[in-house]
Amino acid sequence: MKKLEDIPKKDLFKAPDGYFDKLPGIIQARVSKPEPKSIWVPVLKFALPVLALVTVGVFWFSNPTVQNVETELAGINTEQLMAYLDNTEVVWEETETDGDWSEDDLLELEDRVYSTFTDGSDLELLDEILDLENL
Amino acid sequence: MSKGTNPTLPLEDKDLLLKIRNPETRNYGFNLLVRAYQQRVYGHVRKMVIDHDDADDLTQEVFIKVHKAIDGFREDSQLFTWIYRIATNECLTFLNKKRKRFFLPIEDISGQLAGKLDATPELSGDEIQKKLQKAILTLPDKQRAVFNMKYFDELSYEDMAEITKTSVGALKASFHHATKKIEDYLSAD
Repeated sequence: MKKLEDIPKKDLFKAPDGYFDKLPGIIQARVSKPEPKSIWVPVLKFALPVLALVTVGVFWFSNPTVQNVETELAGINTEQLMAYLDNTEVVWEETETDGDWSEDDLLELEDRVYSTFTDGSDLELLDEILDLENL
Repeated sequence: MSKGTNPTLPLEDKDLLLKIRNPETRNYGFNLLVRAYQQRVYGHVRKMVIDHDDADDLTQEVFIKVHKAIDGFREDSQLFTWIYRIATNECLTFLNKKRKRFFLPIEDISGQLAGKLDATPELSGDEIQKKLQKAILTLPDKQRAVFNMKYFDELSYEDMAEITKTSVGALKASFHHATKKIEDYLSAD
């Protein structure tokens, strides 16, 4: 068994020549230099509220359920609206009494459904119909 | 207003602190402090990180931290144990960061440091001393710091307890285990 005390104690690591002459000056220069102030703190102080406002604004003005109902309805043809009516509780007495659909009936039906959607109700079902259409 | 100095501090430390705390002599006092402790700090750091460039960066960081914190130095310990503590913490943080950055386990960073040992031609020791260094590198970082402070720097257990905030008993046990592991390593070949 080799014992530690049998090994001559010696520090292997030597700094390069002149290192300790220069080091105090380097450190002095570093501590004397004023700390660079972060430019991000003042920038972020203003940027974050602006970003939050912009995000809310973009969300508000691009919300499809509020803004684009009319546009979406214009893209639905009458047959799809009728399919929708078959799946809803919208009551329209004429549909039960008259099996034949005139053009006026269909337009009136479309108007009623249109007013239902623009009231903001049953939008989920409308979305489902549109999704099915896109399959 | 400058603080008074602890009467148990060595005269040199008291003098340094008085100079540093006087705004007119602050830079001069700090320069004297760096000159007084730079070799011990560098030596301690170098043994922990092996590479000169890393040791240079860390030594500078240690003194910059000392400069920032010197006004809060409470003088309930000696100046050199306080500086050693900062240096030891810097080394341990550096090695931990390195390990995390490269996802290395303990053994691999020891291997990496041993590789640096082989790749440093200006090392002044003979083969047995290089082998001793490799044996020391197999120890966990904290135990390595304890071993280096006791074996190479010949610090007292009381000073080491100040530096590491560990009990003297735990330090004695750590040094004893480290010595055993090193002797086993040296006897293995």
